[in-house]
Amino acid sequence: MLGKCFSILCIVAFIFGAFNGSMESVSKSILEGADKSVTLCISLIGVMALWNGIMEILKESGIIKRVSRLLTPVMRLVFPSAFKSGIATEEITACISAGVLGVSNAVTPLAINAISKMERGKRKGVATNDMIMLCMLGCACFNIIPTTIIAIRQKMGATYTYEIIVPVWICSFACMVIGILLCRLMGKINGDS
Amino acid sequence: MGIVNYILPFIIFLLCVIILFSKKDYFSFFLRGAKNGLDGAIKLLPSMCALIIGVNMLLASGATEYLADWLAPLFDRIGVPEDIFPLIITRPLSFGASLATFTDIVTRCGVDSYAALCASIIMASTDTVFYVSCVYFSASEIKKTKYFMPVALFVMAVSVFLSCILARIFF
Repeated sequence: MLGKCFSILCIVAFIFGAFNGSMESVSKSILEGADKSVTLCISLIGVMALWNGIMEILKESGIIKRVSRLLTPVMRLVFPSAFKSGIATEEITACISAGVLGVSNAVTPLAINAISKMERGKRKGVATNDMIMLCMLGCACFNIIPTTIIAIRQKMGATYTYEIIVPVWICSFACMVIGILLCRLMGKINGDS
Repeated sequence: MGIVNYILPFIIFLLCVIILFSKKDYFSFFLRGAKNGLDGAIKLLPSMCALIIGVNMLLASGATEYLADWLAPLFDRIGVPEDIFPLIITRPLSFGASLATFTDIVTRCGVDSYAALCASIIMASTDTVFYVSCVYFSASEIKKTKYFMPVALFVMAVSVFLSCILARIFF
């Protein structure tokens, strides 16, 4: 999938660069991109270490287990095979809770954690329905307080800052529900978990 | 905004209480988890490098502006303001680029204008689909993602239309 995305992006960029006369900045952007990816990865190392460490303590102390048991009735509808087999339930719960609470820098490490846990013992290299669902929720997650956008709007001197919350709730909740339903439908059509 | 600032420090506080008052060696669990996180982050680098180079090239070539110029009038007819179209293209690709386009929209149209409000709702209720899926799946070396991309992009499109409708209703 990534191979296709990468090729399409680069080919389009090449054609437009030639056509547009912007080949100079295209060629510069390649090395800049390589540079940026390393910076991004290094900054991710710290966040990932922190959240994986926190996760380990929460797991060992049994807190997450309790929360995930509490959420099981709902989660079973969204992640049927994970919550049937009991694999990675704690990781999934932690990831979704972080998303809803708006701790956005925790979602990525926790999701990676959950997906690699789900992957164990499965067909190598192929995403399962539950993995796709988790990724979907990572992209369109309902969150209680959209902090980033409120902060930006405040900084820019907007009159409507907190008023934005209600439409964001409606929009992100609706998208989350649509995403979940579509994923379940496609999962059913695709058959194998 | 007060409560939000409390979440992370409170979690850390709670963990420190657990570490201090328990017989089990919880701090070593933390260190073990942190080490796993480190390994995970390193695994991301190869695919991240490829994706960011691709996105960077596309943004530098000016293709996104062309696309926006072509398609914006079409979207304008179905209720999506022309000004936010560049945001729709950059939003799934990169957070930095979408933030830049968002800032551009706000400075051009004014922060409380209809276009800026639509853009705000879009920014808050969608995510960088390409980046997220790249990171999530490549960390565990998953190559076939089946129906993920079409579904994610469809949901994103729904979110754009809904944002514009909601902005019209609420403001």
